[in-house]
Amino acid sequence: MDNFQKKFIEEATDLINNLEEALLSLERNKADNELIAAVFRIMHSLKGGGGMFGFDDISSFTHNLETIYDEVRSGRLKVTADLLGITFSSVDHLRSLLDPNALKNDQINKNHSILLGKINAFLKQDNTVELVDSADNTEQESDGTNHTFYIYFAPDEAIMDNGTNPLYLIDELCSFGNSLVFPKTGKIPELSEFNYSKCYTAWDLFLITPEDINNIQDVFIFVEEESELEITKIADFDILSNKKIIDNIHERYNEKQNFDSTVLKSLIDEQVEKKDSQTVTVSEKLKVFTKENVISSIRVSSEKIDELMNLVSELVTAQASLSLFVEENNEFKLNHLSENIENITRQLRDTTFSVSLIPIETMLTRFHRLIRDLSSEFDKNIEFVTEGAETELDKTLIQGLTDPLMHIIRNSVDHGIEPEEERIKKGKSKQGKIHLSAFYSGASVIIKIQDDGRGIDIEKVRVKALEKKLILPDKKYTDKEMLDIIFLPGFSTAKNVTDVSGRGVGMDVVKRKIDEIRGIVELESKENAGTSIVIKLPLTLSIIDGLLVEISNTKYVMPLNFVNKIYSYEHEQFDKAFNNIIVVDGKQIPFYYLRKEFEITGEPLSVEYLILVKYEDKRIGLVVDNVLGEYQAVLKPLGKLYKSHEIISGATILGDGTIALVLDTNKIIHEFSFKS
Amino acid sequence: MAKTILIVDDSESIREVVSFTLENAGYNVIVAIDGADALPHLDGKVIDLLLTDLHMPNMDGINLIREVRKIEAYKRIPILFLTTESQRDKKIEAKAAGATGWIIKPFVPAKLLAAITKVMR
Repeated sequence: MDNFQKKFIEEATDLINNLEEALLSLERNKADNELIAAVFRIMHSLKGGGGMFGFDDISSFTHNLETIYDEVRSGRLKVTADLLGITFSSVDHLRSLLDPNALKNDQINKNHSILLGKINAFLKQDNTVELVDSADNTEQESDGTNHTFYIYFAPDEAIMDNGTNPLYLIDELCSFGNSLVFPKTGKIPELSEFNYSKCYTAWDLFLITPEDINNIQDVFIFVEEESELEITKIADFDILSNKKIIDNIHERYNEKQNFDSTVLKSLIDEQVEKKDSQTVTVSEKLKVFTKENVISSIRVSSEKIDELMNLVSELVTAQASLSLFVEENNEFKLNHLSENIENITRQLRDTTFSVSLIPIETMLTRFHRLIRDLSSEFDKNIEFVTEGAETELDKTLIQGLTDPLMHIIRNSVDHGIEPEEERIKKGKSKQGKIHLSAFYSGASVIIKIQDDGRGIDIEKVRVKALEKKLILPDKKYTDKEMLDIIFLPGFSTAKNVTDVSGRGVGMDVVKRKIDEIRGIVELESKENAGTSIVIKLPLTLSIIDGLLVEISNTKYVMPLNFVNKIYSYEHEQFDKAFNNIIVVDGKQIPFYYLRKEFEITGEPLSVEYLILVKYEDKRIGLVVDNVLGEYQAVLKPLGKLYKSHEIISGATILGDGTIALVLDTNKIIHEFSFKS
Repeated sequence: MAKTILIVDDSESIREVVSFTLENAGYNVIVAIDGADALPHLDGKVIDLLLTDLHMPNMDGINLIREVRKIEAYKRIPILFLTTESQRDKKIEAKAAGATGWIIKPFVPAKLLAAITKVMR
């Protein structure tokens, strides 16, 4: 059962997220029936599942919530801001209820009763709704003494059409105790008119059992609406022990007399009204639930995906050895095979990667919610617009990205967007806007968060930075440099420490977190026009297409997606180049001579290679001894000791078993340009 | 021969617990995630019982029951549906569509098996 519970928690988390998403849409479009139906259905599933897997709190909590939305669905209640407010708080509360011991926590328990109170108050406003108390299926205990019941059961002729076998029901009854059964076959027609799919038989049954009448009634629960059924307790004792009564009953049966009520009354005591058979015509229109989510995927544990990733990495490495072997032995047939395997490996690698990619949409709901909550808390009017929600990122990246993004958005809401009056004074639209867009750019994903708030006051930054001794008082800084100071540890400009930002964690944490996932963060701001923060991330973390190069007999890998062009030059040309600038295709290109930068001594080769790489919006040359070719590099971490070497993003094992360092060209250029 | 039961439910956890219970009780189990997903399974092979949820995307339980009853091979197989407490309207609708009976959620395994033996042996 534990296993099922875990599954349920996973599933319920999804359901709650979907619920939140649907509610957010519903808030924008309060009359959308499809959304209302979706909200209802999710609540319904939560309730059902909760009850199944022992989350009774969830089940009972969702129950009344569901009742409200059932009313909404049928048009008797309207979606109001009030209702949505309660529902949103309930969604949060449901999340905490996923912990089976949640209600033992005082805070949660208090919240639970407050919310339940609110929900019930809401239901009571609408007096057409009956509140159902959760515990109503108390089964009556039997006292163990036998009673005698008379049961008349005449199913509808068509009863077998819906899959019912009436004999099973008789069987079930007989399992309750001793019984005496008389079939009534009077309605069976002549063979010529006989239809084998119809049921012509009715039954008279005397049942001696200690069971409660409700349990007997339950036997017929599926068929009571299309049968004539009568269940009467005719004695408080076992009539089978009374030979006289039994004889009388047999006699009546043999004479084909009916055991109708009067007869039995004369035999014993009581009689209850016979139930009329009911034919129910259903004319209610079918409500078809439109889907908002087509299930076209399966759930796989992330461990399995990680394992698959590892295996693919191993395969890539093994394949490299094979390629090398083929190269050395130059055998036609083997060559062909190896190329084929290389191709397949590459495709396998790409597919495996795409499996571990998830759309950033998954975290956007949280942001929608965050902004919604924060704007009401700060009394600000903010519209959150997202673009490119389908952009996919490695799941580990998404995990690492959520916190920094949350922080950035909090900053925008708290410090960026002005209150309404201030905006009107400035001649801006009443409603502030936060725009999150995501898109691919080469092998990177760019995420941009833009607000149209008051922007960053560079003067304030300067004053603060001086105060904190982060800058020199007499040196001149460009605006961009000033903005970069915001990312330094211990910097926070908010005048008042508010609940939201200003918790001592500032943009430096954002930067550090994004660094951790090999991302780059940049900030642009214009006073009164707003701030935009751009985060650039690598598509994936573990295998890259690289260019294998050589410097002084050591091999390095450069990420291929940054490489633009490769040129070969005589060594002299680099030697005599003034200010490390060389003319390439008629353009002046700054370059770094890596032999020198890496502090490698020894004779340089007579012909060397200039690799043009992209850096921000510029092109910069890196000079190496030799270019060996393309290489799929499986990135392995270098271990703690080498962690501080920013210019190296990892190492990879080559086909011959030797190790090559993977260079981070962006960081190299950044680092060396600072040095010089 | 073991009886074959087709389970249709959009909730993975319900599918799992139901199929686990039924398989342990010696039934063959086929699962489908919604009505649309269930139909291809109903290709004429022997299915002794259909157990379906009512609220599902793509094709809900009631429409599924209607579709199943249209297929000659399954005109009279027992069909049970899953529902919560007393949704009377839904019950009537499902019965009119051709369902044999229902199981009220939440249920314990014993209750599920009891409901099944009520309509199939």
